[in-house]
Amino acid sequence: MMHMPLPLLFAALLLWGTIVGLDLVSVPQGLLARPLVAGSVAGWLVGDVEAGLRVGAVLELFALDVLPVGASRYPEYGPASVGAVAAAAFLPPALGTGLGVLLGLVVAIVAERTLDWLRHANARHVHRLTGDLEAGSWSAIRRLQWAGLGRDAARSAGITAFGLALAFVFMHWVRLVWVPPLLTPVLVGVALAAAFTGAFRTAGHGRRRAWLGVGLATGVLAIVGLGVVG
Amino acid sequence: MKGRGRALLRLFAVQGAWSYERMIGVGMGYAGQPLLDDLEAGDPARHREATARSAEFFNCHPYLAGLALGASARAEHDGVPGAHIQRLRTALCSPLGALGDQFFWAGLVPMLMALALIGVVFGGGGWWLGLIVVVYNVVRILVTRWALLTGLNTGMQVGSAISSSWLPRAVSRISAPAGFAMGLALPVTGIWLLTPWVSAIGDALLVTAASAGLALAARRWGGPRWSSLRVGLLLAVLTLLWTRFAP
Repeated sequence: MMHMPLPLLFAALLLWGTIVGLDLVSVPQGLLARPLVAGSVAGWLVGDVEAGLRVGAVLELFALDVLPVGASRYPEYGPASVGAVAAAAFLPPALGTGLGVLLGLVVAIVAERTLDWLRHANARHVHRLTGDLEAGSWSAIRRLQWAGLGRDAARSAGITAFGLALAFVFMHWVRLVWVPPLLTPVLVGVALAAAFTGAFRTAGHGRRRAWLGVGLATGVLAIVGLGVVG
Repeated sequence: MKGRGRALLRLFAVQGAWSYERMIGVGMGYAGQPLLDDLEAGDPARHREATARSAEFFNCHPYLAGLALGASARAEHDGVPGAHIQRLRTALCSPLGALGDQFFWAGLVPMLMALALIGVVFGGGGWWLGLIVVVYNVVRILVTRWALLTGLNTGMQVGSAISSSWLPRAVSRISAPAGFAMGLALPVTGIWLLTPWVSAIGDALLVTAASAGLALAARRWGGPRWSSLRVGLLLAVLTLLWTRFAP
């Protein structure tokens, strides 16, 4: 658990969100962009690991519905988790998880648009340097690569800053009585449906679908029969 | 051939300039440059042509891009005609994309994240998550290295090397554990997330089940526009409004 002055905390969260945003597509794609990972580190930075794990877990369930293949467009939950956890950390878990996840969903949908912008901006840059590329210019390749990475870093920082700004607004202007306790169960339900949809889709028609069913049955048995959770 | 280490390092940023124009082509050109350096002294014209080819349109799973990168670099050094190298790259796009997507995006990643969720529920916390991230990255580094070296060693025969490698078998083998882990994670994570409502767990479960049912119904009958994210936002806004204005 870390305690640091507010400007330093903001800088640390911004840096972490930028790393997370870069990890999604550009570099190094090492699971840092998964909401559970991004959220728990953000929770550690703000001094509330529990909030980070809970918000990260709900957003992770949403993210399990995403299959990032080819040129598909998808919500970006990584940097969104950073602002979401910052918002959740100042509330009790029953209220904070729901509010944080709601913020995370808003940021994720905005981030999806910025990914599209990034791909088009990179394409425009390639267009401008097509002649050089066709002539085998190594410096054109290098310029394109570093400009792409720079754009993605700026995009990730911008999305993280947007999330943190929303969290700041929530912390200062949203009254606790406005946040219904049922918000979290509502969003957990949708998140579970999202993860199930993703699992069912990737299971196809083979034996994996049967194993998905076996896993679900085992999980329900663990809860009902053994009472191992809670 | 020199530059293997630098090429390997650059493969971790192969999607750094991803665009609708060339997809990961520019990243391939950037990663491949250290492998083509040797050509410059002996045959500058061939080097320029090889550099131009290396950054042309290409798309596949990023972790397996090293197979195509290594194979085309080997072929450039072996003096294979440029048109043949272009055909090889084109032929590799789909299989490398399909194998990588099935093994990593639809298999290993969901499986490890499901295990991460289960570990967190049972008190593993940050250490467990850290272990999952380390395990994944060890696999990721080993696969990226294997891909580059296999491509470099086999050149134009990379297709048969892929067919006889561990990869196709791993794709079919990861299916069952991934399905089981995801199935197990859903109920235990759901219950864990509802533990703050332990005094009113019945109501919380009812609301959770109802919203899950609505989300599944919206996806089933509403089409792809009703993504889980949109349904989540809509239900959250309705919940907020209902709480604020209900009598």
